[in-house]
Amino acid sequence: MRGPAFNAIPRLVVCAALLALPWLVTSDYYVNIASQIVIAAILALSLNLLIGFGGMISLGHAAYLGVAAYLTIYLTAHAGFGHLAGALIAIGATTVLAMLFGYLALRASGLGFLMITLALGQILWGVAYRWASLTGGDNGLGGLKRPHPFGLDLSNPAIFYYFVLFFLVIAIWCIARFIQSGLGQSLQGTRDQPRRMRALGYNVWLIQWLSFVFAGFWGAVAGLLYAYYHQFVSPQALHLTTSAETLLMVIAGGTGTLLGPVVGAALVVILKNVVSAYITRWLILLGVIFVAIVLFMPEGLVPGITRGLRTLKRRTRPDETADASSIAGDRIR
Amino acid sequence: MTMPVLEVTGLSRYFGGLPAVRDVTMRVPAGERRLLLGPNGAGKTTFFNLIAGDFPPSQGEIRIFGQNVTRRSANERTQLGMARTYQIITLFPKNTLLHNVVISLLGLRDLRFNPWSDLRRQTALWDKARATLARVGLDHIADRTVAETSYGERRRLEIAMALAQTPKLLLLDEPLAGLSADERQDVQRLLQSIPRDVTIVMIEHDMDVALAFADVITVMQHGQVVVEGSRADVVADPKTREVYLGH
Repeated sequence: MRGPAFNAIPRLVVCAALLALPWLVTSDYYVNIASQIVIAAILALSLNLLIGFGGMISLGHAAYLGVAAYLTIYLTAHAGFGHLAGALIAIGATTVLAMLFGYLALRASGLGFLMITLALGQILWGVAYRWASLTGGDNGLGGLKRPHPFGLDLSNPAIFYYFVLFFLVIAIWCIARFIQSGLGQSLQGTRDQPRRMRALGYNVWLIQWLSFVFAGFWGAVAGLLYAYYHQFVSPQALHLTTSAETLLMVIAGGTGTLLGPVVGAALVVILKNVVSAYITRWLILLGVIFVAIVLFMPEGLVPGITRGLRTLKRRTRPDETADASSIAGDRIR
Repeated sequence: MTMPVLEVTGLSRYFGGLPAVRDVTMRVPAGERRLLLGPNGAGKTTFFNLIAGDFPPSQGEIRIFGQNVTRRSANERTQLGMARTYQIITLFPKNTLLHNVVISLLGLRDLRFNPWSDLRRQTALWDKARATLARVGLDHIADRTVAETSYGERRRLEIAMALAQTPKLLLLDEPLAGLSADERQDVQRLLQSIPRDVTIVMIEHDMDVALAFADVITVMQHGQVVVEGSRADVVADPKTREVYLGH
């Protein structure tokens, strides 16, 4: 039940950089990349609830992103719902789906859980791919126009960026509160000692299920923002590669931390969108970076860097002590 | 006749074709100190695990406080007022001793399902945890992580986590195992200080300690009850000698 590695200084630096980004980066292209990072970060944060705090490794988390995106676009652009109603129904229905998937997946643990989540995600991908009359099949579903909440013009990249950033801040705040709450602490206990937790009176299954649903809810929020950003969704949003990419973000950034998934999301999205423009085989580079992270910082970038800084601090301290004692010695002499 | 706190009838558990517990019947009245004795492999810990609800029995019935709990989960049994310790210490090593006890206390409160209230701000819970640690003499190291404590301190923490839940039935699985002579005395004193309104069922190998502690002793071998009775009866019974000395 580690505390989140989200201390004051990195928090301030990250907040300042995130707020100033549209001024620092003048190109709309890069502001849009930042919006993609933020959306991916929300999805990664929600998956991290399962992996980092619950010890439940899922390979089907793209299900919530994809289903919420499909529902948002279908309801708003094709079924005549308003933006607010479409968004609420999409998030609500996706959360209900998470309830069902959680019920099924939590019948197993470990590798069994992983395989069930993978299978459920792939079933949805298959449905989206084959049910062309509803989902547009391989061509996907489009036609969505971005909403204008409170008169905000979300077609403006900077405004859209702040819009998704607002959701990221809310997500981090809610997840931070969750992991320090009774339920969040119980979840971390079930990750570390499930048998012990049962003996202490905890309903391990129920705690994991509630957390699974909470993670599904934030996955749905990411899906809603994904639909607004792309104004289009295809079966790719539900595919295993999207789930695996999200898993990579969490592991690369650092599981069980709040900042880790955000850093991981930035790494993967930048490599995918920016580096791929210069290097054709960008996936090889992603693989090399991931192997390097696993080798040198197996706990992930954020905890790894934190550990490195602590080691550096410890190494500099004895010198300070030696200096101080020599000064004291000089005084005595 | 008062209702027994723990009543086990015809309890059996097979792992494949191997019988680990066979047709065990036992009644433990309120306040009793019951000792389970037997050589390694006698089925004592399996019997404990069946009572605690770690896995269901193949046959038989378990009643706790008069309620049939045979098919009820481990956490439901704990909610009824049962607590246990483990033969192999099972704690949260990265957390402080205080946090371990808080997690134990949280297990019986609705707060465990609350996704919003900050656990760190539940001062009553933390105060109670600190008081429980004081009861077992660990309050001075309450803020140390479990990883930084000795084996004996961990044993005491295990007992503290069980006592924190103010159980009416306490299952202790070899609470003195692996302790030094001084540590054994500390834990023994701690066990003797537990009030009589708590019924205790204990597995222990140290005959001297066990005999001094127990009101009634049950000797098990090959998953079955071989001898049961008062200390004097069990010590005098030739079957006890046979179980322990093989003649």
